[in-house]
Amino acid sequence: MKTSKILKAALMTIGAALLCLNLSAIPGRPNPPRLVNDFAGLFSPAQTAELERMLVDFSDTTSNQITVVTVNDLEGYDSSEYATRIGLDWQVGTSQFNNGVVVLVKPKTPDSYGDAFIAVGYGLEGAIPDAYATRIVREQMIPHFKNNDYYSGVKDACVKLMKLASGEISVNDEDDEDEAFFIFLSILIVLGILVLLIIAIKSKDGGNNNGSRGGGGPTIIFGPGSGRGGSSFGGGFGGGSFGGGGFGGFGGGSFGGGGGGGKW
Amino acid sequence: MITLAVIVAVVLVLFFWCKNVYNGMVAAEEGVGAAWAQVENVYQRRADLIPNLVATVKGYAAHESSTLEGVIEARSKATQVTVNPENLTPEALEKFNQAQGELSNALGRLLMITENYPDLKANENFRDLQAQLEGTENRITTERMKFNDTARAYNTMIRKFPNNILASMFNFETKGYFQAQEGAATAPKVEF
Repeated sequence: MKTSKILKAALMTIGAALLCLNLSAIPGRPNPPRLVNDFAGLFSPAQTAELERMLVDFSDTTSNQITVVTVNDLEGYDSSEYATRIGLDWQVGTSQFNNGVVVLVKPKTPDSYGDAFIAVGYGLEGAIPDAYATRIVREQMIPHFKNNDYYSGVKDACVKLMKLASGEISVNDEDDEDEAFFIFLSILIVLGILVLLIIAIKSKDGGNNNGSRGGGGPTIIFGPGSGRGGSSFGGGFGGGSFGGGGFGGFGGGSFGGGGGGGKW
Repeated sequence: MITLAVIVAVVLVLFFWCKNVYNGMVAAEEGVGAAWAQVENVYQRRADLIPNLVATVKGYAAHESSTLEGVIEARSKATQVTVNPENLTPEALEKFNQAQGELSNALGRLLMITENYPDLKANENFRDLQAQLEGTENRITTERMKFNDTARAYNTMIRKFPNNILASMFNFETKGYFQAQEGAATAPKVEF
């Protein structure tokens, strides 16, 4: 009686552990953040860099985040569920617009279908309806995938997605940062003048008491800007066509299961 | 004097603790209610698609009337079963789940017979409806998952010690989860 109870408990523990493993099957958020996550190794390094640059550029100029994920195994999920879970776990898109897109590709292998799905965040469901997402998979991706040309398929799909998404939400992220930077700068200048004024008044009042203070100017130390993280100011300042180059990170977007896909 | 101060301090600490826990539970319960509203939304969305779908299929396969009627009947049954967000017990959820599951099965049968009608399958309107239906099924999966997550967080909260004392005092009840329904594997699956 007792042993059976212990056995049952042990089995349940193992079951729970398995369940946990199963739940964590979705790959974790990439660190450092990047938009092209080629877990299945379908692209050459040059292709990955090219695609990444295209998508980071698009994210910088419109705030829409498109992430490409390739995996060899869907871990028993439907491709739609897998892609949506990635979107939710990684929080692709901005929290303001929920404008993330996950392009998921599972390549065809001798013993399994190829499977692709485009999951669309809440905010872009109007710009990219399910039927469009399905059509992109059917017309842009699968014909290339059948020739084993995964890069062209994914790239064409991204180009099409960017066209659709930018029609709906197009907020220049870099402009925002520039503006924030100038506001920040003007506040700093005003503060600096104030501090100087106060010091001037003080030294007039009590100049005799602490004469030794004279030399040291005010030192102002400021931390990273609110929320955005330090790198965003650097990016805004750089101002070149590719900014700082790196992707700033996913922004808190949410997904409701929208999108479409196909098999081949 | 000191004892009085101690008593006042203890009462104050107790009060703030109760307030925090209680408000936390209220917020969590509201969250479960909101997640439930989303679940009902997406099921409603599916129900709204069905009349159109049935009408389109009827145009090509009128003599499959028993299957078509099966869908309509399951739809009207499913839309009758609603759950009050204040009463999300496992039993109520099970009933809801079962009614919707029957509708899923009826839809699955309907989509199965459409395989025999190439003209219907080539119909643009039907293809769009199929894509919409598939999208709706994906949304249902997602919202069910979100509901389960929210309900789990809430249940954990109210069952943990010492929260459970307050929870039972103020009648916070555990919420049910969605179980994978029977025949979920045969839910409409559209492939192109």
